[in-house]
Amino acid sequence: MSDTFDHSGVPADELLAAEVALGVLSGPERTQAEQRRLREPAFDAMVIAWEERLAPWAAEIDEVAPPPRVWDNIAAQLPPQAAARGGLWQSLAFWRGLALAGGALAAACLAALVYLGTLSPAPPLVAAIGSDGRQHFVAAVDVRRGTIAVVPASFAADATRVPELWLVPSGGKPRSLGLLSADRGVTITIPADLIAQTTSNATLAVSLEPPGGSPTGQPTGPVIGSGKLTTL
Amino acid sequence: MNLDANRSLIAASLARIPDGDRAALQTVYRLTSAKLFGVVLRILNERSEAEDVLQEVYLTVWRKAAAFDPARASPMTWLITIARNRAIDRLRAGRQVRRIEPIEAAAGVSDDAPVAESVLQSEQENARLHACLESLANNERAALRGAFFDGNTYEELAARMRVPLGTMKSWIRRAMIKLKSCLEQ
Repeated sequence: MSDTFDHSGVPADELLAAEVALGVLSGPERTQAEQRRLREPAFDAMVIAWEERLAPWAAEIDEVAPPPRVWDNIAAQLPPQAAARGGLWQSLAFWRGLALAGGALAAACLAALVYLGTLSPAPPLVAAIGSDGRQHFVAAVDVRRGTIAVVPASFAADATRVPELWLVPSGGKPRSLGLLSADRGVTITIPADLIAQTTSNATLAVSLEPPGGSPTGQPTGPVIGSGKLTTL
Repeated sequence: MNLDANRSLIAASLARIPDGDRAALQTVYRLTSAKLFGVVLRILNERSEAEDVLQEVYLTVWRKAAAFDPARASPMTWLITIARNRAIDRLRAGRQVRRIEPIEAAAGVSDDAPVAESVLQSEQENARLHACLESLANNERAALRGAFFDGNTYEELAARMRVPLGTMKSWIRRAMIKLKSCLEQ
């Protein structure tokens, strides 16, 4: 443990906790202190309190965007998404497989039909959102429920930006429908005032935006793809 | 973006990770990886090593998210602490060339004049810590800087500031006691 200095009556544990949080210990001293944290909740709480005091200092450190391979390596080491929770609809492999199988739009439409089942009396609207022949997302509108389901096809994650979905009415300005996920399907409730405009005259587009979405209400990042809504 | 919204988004995402929600981890990564990479890079001073440690950091977050208690720590503090600890572990494992250049004791609280506005941490907390650091003696503050930002041990700090080990321990401990009482005022 640390030497027992007399610092105006401050308990030795308090000083040790400060040293652990600051990270100045090395070798066996550091190992022993870490083990004490596991055994003694009171000591652990002291260390956490010190970490809280010091952490704001990190505001001074400049942010540095890591290269995309870091996330790829992390994702590769995660266990596969639990099948019971996600199901086929949220299985990225399934959708990527479909998209790669050729005739991506036809496949997506078929899958959308399977997903929507025969619940919807109105004919479903679908769109393949892509550019240059590459499908990034496929979308299916459930007109009856007023929802839109969007799954990634071959969209590559970007560590610093998030994909945002836009409804572009014929001759109108883009309206945000919400944020998408790079690795699973999401279902978005279409805002009431946009339902009337969600027709086969409209186009869906995806842009890359800062985390949390576009700060302006209009796309601010690159539009990575678009696709016209089509009635099946 | 709004600070509170950002904090709640990180906390809410951390809460979803124990269910095996990969998208939640990815959200946390998107919001925090640039800051944590900055922290790790600053300590390790070597890019490929820092990338490697950043991976470990998020895999640790994945495994330990259930242990995150929003009542005890803010999400950014929790994440920054994991990042610092993993980087220091790597440093102590010893393959790194340590920073051994002398520390200028007269150095100020921050490297560059204004502290960059952070979307992840509260300006109030920053200002308070800043004021308390300012109240320390120059040598004490310089020693704390070397420990916090460069991940130096007592021995390394003593060498960098050319003082005996016992003196360095006294400086750091006295500085931490002053800091605590200043922050509690």
